[in-house]
Amino acid sequence: MDILTQQLFNGLTIGSVYSLVALGLTLVYGILHIPNFAHGALYMLGAYITLTTMLLWGFNYWVAIAISVLVVGLLGVLMDRLVFHQLRNAPPIHDKIAAIGILLFLEALAQLIWGADYRSMSTPYGEVINMFGLTVTMQRVLINVGAIAVMILLFVFLKKTYIGATIIAMAQNREGAHLVGINTNKVAMLTFMLSGGLAAFAASLSAPINLVFPGMGHLVILKAFVIIILGGMGSIPGAIVGGYILGFSESLGATYLSNDYKDIIAFLLLVIILSFKPKGLFSREGF
Amino acid sequence: MLKLSGLTVTYGSFAAIEDVTIDVAEGELVVLLGSNGAGKSSTFRAISGLEKPSAGGITFDGKNIAGQSPERIVKSGVVQCAEDRKLFPQMTVHENLIMGAYVHRKKKKEIRQALENVHALFPMLQEKKDHAAGSLSGGQQQMLAIGRALMSRPKLLLLDEPSIGLAPLIVEQMFEVIHQINQEGTTVLLAEQNANAALKIADRGYVFESGSIVVQGTSEELFTNDAVRKAYIGA
Repeated sequence: MDILTQQLFNGLTIGSVYSLVALGLTLVYGILHIPNFAHGALYMLGAYITLTTMLLWGFNYWVAIAISVLVVGLLGVLMDRLVFHQLRNAPPIHDKIAAIGILLFLEALAQLIWGADYRSMSTPYGEVINMFGLTVTMQRVLINVGAIAVMILLFVFLKKTYIGATIIAMAQNREGAHLVGINTNKVAMLTFMLSGGLAAFAASLSAPINLVFPGMGHLVILKAFVIIILGGMGSIPGAIVGGYILGFSESLGATYLSNDYKDIIAFLLLVIILSFKPKGLFSREGF
Repeated sequence: MLKLSGLTVTYGSFAAIEDVTIDVAEGELVVLLGSNGAGKSSTFRAISGLEKPSAGGITFDGKNIAGQSPERIVKSGVVQCAEDRKLFPQMTVHENLIMGAYVHRKKKKEIRQALENVHALFPMLQEKKDHAAGSLSGGQQQMLAIGRALMSRPKLLLLDEPSIGLAPLIVEQMFEVIHQINQEGTTVLLAEQNANAALKIADRGYVFESGSIVVQGTSEELFTNDAVRKAYIGA
């Protein structure tokens, strides 16, 4: 029983990180129909920037996260302007090739700047606490609270503000958005900003319990793709639900099946869910 | 108010419309007649900035709007209600209408006023305000599309085949509403295949055939024109 609750909490933690990453990916996919493979590189850069600002300038953890979110968000905007916007009239395959190109470029860049070493990030929230009979580190609690708070903020922003609603409008009908006078270029930039910011926030939260290295985005982005495919491409609730499904099944699978095979579980789930719901769990109905 | 002069729109090497010249004066209701693929929608897409004209000019209120971005054209007062409606299907009726007022998003009072006007015109939209737009029937969706366009308080409303795919009774209502919108002071440019109904409410008309205008005149002239009667009225 103790192990079960402990693993459920772990699942929640992993799921929170996955959901944040998948949300950024699904937002961009929803409005531009670009599978942004470079999203994993943004995640990786988010961790490095938080780490560096803390080590180099001695910034407080939260200030470092804020800087990282901002910088990576702007990097996302730059990516849209310099690459994807230029390709707006090109066949869709060009976007995909470009996204992989950006991924490789950013990873090589990170290796050049920070080297290939594995680094660990220290956190002011390392203490162990007891909560509802669980023994957890404060950092893990922080991941859950932080992720859920950000998801609520995002939801309110998309549903309750005019500017947020433009993202949803553009996702549902791009020309319709044009015809009501929405500047779709600005919406695209805003979406990339959000997407990058979410990736940086997720990475900064989870880096203290993992390691920071140039390839750290690989598995995360691969799983984020699994999540948005099984949640329904472009669906926001799908990304959140999918993230948690994956988080829970991985932590439970690692405990009760085999720790060595935990990374396979994601893909097994993908096969099973797509067999029954070929368009994913939410297939854009809830965007 | 709106002037198209020698407008040409091409897709690749194919000219969708060629050398089209149209004049719409303030307060008029002008109809563009023509069968599928005759060039009506391409003309509308060019006016709305969704397609860049390859030759010719478009001016609105004396200002050149050819090749401008769609959002600037909406801001200047030209709004299109497209043939396939282009609603936001998973948003509610209310949310769709509010998005229609996007260019006035800072003026809360104007939005409320516009919303009241639209509700007065289509009471159904108030009753169904919390329904998803995609769940409405075809006629209701068309009303929502027109309502959404009116939310931006346009000076010129472009209506692309509002009667398409609707039941005859609904079509009749639709034309009554369009007439009413025009009477209340909005200039209307209407693209239609239903010449009979359209000419009844229109002041003037242009007839498209394979991308060019072949006949133009007042509604009475077009109504009595033999070629038009044969092709579009069927009598």
